[in-house]
Amino acid sequence: MSIKGTDFTRREVLKLAAGAATAGFALPWTVGGAFAQPAAGTLRAGIAGFNVINILDPAKATLIPEFYVIYGAFNALLKFNAKMELVPDLAESFKVLNSTTLEFKLRRGVKFQDGSDFSADDVKFTIERVADEKTAAPNRSKVAAIQSIQIADPLTVRIVTKAPFAPLLNYLTNTRTGTQIVSRTSLNAMGEAAFGRKPVGTGPFIIKDWKSGESIELTAFPGAFSGAPKVGRVLCPLIAEESSGMTAILGNQVDLTSTAPFADIGSLEKRPEVKVLKQAGLNTRYIAVNNKKGPFSDVHFRRAVSMAFDREVLVKAVLFGEGVAIPGVLPPALWADPKPVWGEYVTFNPEKARAELAKSAFRAGTEATLLVWGSNWWRRMGEIVAGQANQVLGTKITLQATDFNTAYSRAKAGDYDAMVMGWLGFVDPDEYLGEIVGSKGFRNVHFYGSQKMDDLLERGRTEIDPVKRKAVYAEAERLVAEDLPVLPCFCSNIHNLLRPNVKGFVQLPYSNFADQFGTIELG
Amino acid sequence: MAAIAIDLAPAARRLGGMVLIAFLGAALVFFVMRAGHGDPALSALGDQATPEAIAAFRKLWGLDAPLIVQFWNWLSGALTGNFGKSMTVAGGVPIATLVGSRLPNTLFIGLYAMAIAVVISLVAGTVSALRHGRMIDSVATGLAVLGISMPDFWLSYVLVYALALGAGIFPSYGFISPAESLSGAFYSGFLPALAVAAPMAAAFTRMLRTALIETLYRDHVRVARSLGYSGAFIFLHYVFRNALIPYVTVIGLQVRYLLGGTVVVERIFGIPGIGALMVDAAFGRDYGLVQACALTFLVCVLIVNFLVDSLCAALNPRAT
Repeated sequence: MSIKGTDFTRREVLKLAAGAATAGFALPWTVGGAFAQPAAGTLRAGIAGFNVINILDPAKATLIPEFYVIYGAFNALLKFNAKMELVPDLAESFKVLNSTTLEFKLRRGVKFQDGSDFSADDVKFTIERVADEKTAAPNRSKVAAIQSIQIADPLTVRIVTKAPFAPLLNYLTNTRTGTQIVSRTSLNAMGEAAFGRKPVGTGPFIIKDWKSGESIELTAFPGAFSGAPKVGRVLCPLIAEESSGMTAILGNQVDLTSTAPFADIGSLEKRPEVKVLKQAGLNTRYIAVNNKKGPFSDVHFRRAVSMAFDREVLVKAVLFGEGVAIPGVLPPALWADPKPVWGEYVTFNPEKARAELAKSAFRAGTEATLLVWGSNWWRRMGEIVAGQANQVLGTKITLQATDFNTAYSRAKAGDYDAMVMGWLGFVDPDEYLGEIVGSKGFRNVHFYGSQKMDDLLERGRTEIDPVKRKAVYAEAERLVAEDLPVLPCFCSNIHNLLRPNVKGFVQLPYSNFADQFGTIELG
Repeated sequence: MAAIAIDLAPAARRLGGMVLIAFLGAALVFFVMRAGHGDPALSALGDQATPEAIAAFRKLWGLDAPLIVQFWNWLSGALTGNFGKSMTVAGGVPIATLVGSRLPNTLFIGLYAMAIAVVISLVAGTVSALRHGRMIDSVATGLAVLGISMPDFWLSYVLVYALALGAGIFPSYGFISPAESLSGAFYSGFLPALAVAAPMAAAFTRMLRTALIETLYRDHVRVARSLGYSGAFIFLHYVFRNALIPYVTVIGLQVRYLLGGTVVVERIFGIPGIGALMVDAAFGRDYGLVQACALTFLVCVLIVNFLVDSLCAALNPRAT
């Protein structure tokens, strides 16, 4: 190869490099894709903090961002209004016939997005499908109490449970319950796999296009019973980082976000180009502990650690004030939440904590591992709890950072001491208490079992009278604060960011999203 | 011309080596992923899945077979270009489709960043070498130190705040794929490419500056000066050309880290690239997808290595 040749190539390379770097500015760019300036009537609704949506079949969905989208493509029999009261959705009305039978009168003239008619048969099909073991529905337990579903006429359906089952109405709402009504004909025609990518519901938006890990495009369903949507098209970019969701809306790349970072709420509230919606959320955050082995199997040790950290500090340092400390598992925003009773074991008190440790079989110097995962604030939560406990008690709790799948798999296998943990979007107290601290609860990865607790939870499930039910859960919460199967920490606020021209989005405490798209107007 | 008539045996050996490394890499990723904690069934079915549902899921995806059988199934598929379907990240979408749609975006940002880094370093390195010891040199060298020390995620946010939200020149989020619009990709990809380019530009600048200064004081340059050649002529023909060899070598070394380096920036700017895909796949225990992404990275790095070695050999025949 000659020197001349090299020379020539080098210059070419330089020219190309310089050209490439400047081309973006020199050429007029044509914009397209999810981030272009949208056509009029396109809502850009960023799903922030998540970028995996795996399936959009309500019966099979598990992740909150999956439900964010499902809410807008489907309806359930019932839904919640802004005051979190049950109101009709696909059911026009419902009656309690007796303690085990509910009768739903269905809305007349409802069409699915494929044009077929909605009827009682679809309700029966949907719920039986969730209950069927073969479906492997994550929400199967929510409908397992149902004995039969009877079609009285095409617009009347009766749901009979084996025993009185108080949570049932909440489980038939358009929330994370998986009971959103699917079209029997579409599902059978398309097959399950295809339906999971392009499902057919009765909601105001049709899932038109889905680029895995990138974005979902929805198009208006003018024939929706809830009325034709005011925007014709919705683009939902999947934004992996919450902070990127914030910069996206500040830079006018999206009109609405599903979440916002706790640390930035204060400064965002001062900015005119974005509106912050917030309220106490339906979620619960705690330190899950292994009640079967290791130091946390000793109730005195659990109590000592619980008294050794200050929940108010967590709210300030982890949530930047965007939440409240809780003495139990239930979020204050839930209807059944009692006035929180701050028992002594859930109140920060270093002296009592040390005295409690003295009663335990474990002493200062005891080693334990606290698993942390997820975004920064989960890690900070673990750091503060471990740091304060070590300072007050002289224990040696160390953090181990991992991802959720690893942490939860280890917890399920009993291979852990403690981990930061939490759930969001549940609407019934049994979803919190029953599943987290009930001996058969599938979120009970703590190996905690108490006959007294199980009896209370059973009463909570079968007690139809809401006032009496509330009293039962108040008692269960007191037992949580005594036994400390988990160490309660806090509930966080939920946030949506909106551009000022977005009108008609109503935020609900269970972290809703696309269910409001039908009423959104872009001013 | 002699270089063309080379013996083909070394090239074949090299190719064989690459295939062997790709195979070993794939096997390593396969067994390490499965040796760790975690379960794709948890990602796909949620925490409420019954043992029966988990068993059905494992059977469906062939996870119930012995590991070595699973590896053979994967390998025999991969050899025919069939990488299977995504389990937990993009339920049912063919993995080849996912990787195929993502790879161009990552390559684009990587090459774009490389181009920016080369341009910046050529200017900054040359200027600071010619004016070394003066104010402008101190500024350029200081900036280079800053560039090397700044973490890319931090720099990304600084760039977004300054150039997108502040000056309003660039979009604060989102990426237009080069397949959709090339100019749009250059525009929307500028900030992420700059974030990736900054530490590289700094490293290249320092390298070029040192090499140029060293060459400036060599005997042949002094002789050229004494013969009365013009400064520009000497610089271009005797200094710059000689300094180019270490410079290109350093660029070659950096290219190998480029693909991995874009992962964080892809997440921050929402670029649907292969790095972000692999992270999602790893979190979701989408084994086949992790496997395919890792193999893609591996093959890219092997190809780049090969190209860099060939280029260096061409620039400096004495080395071979």
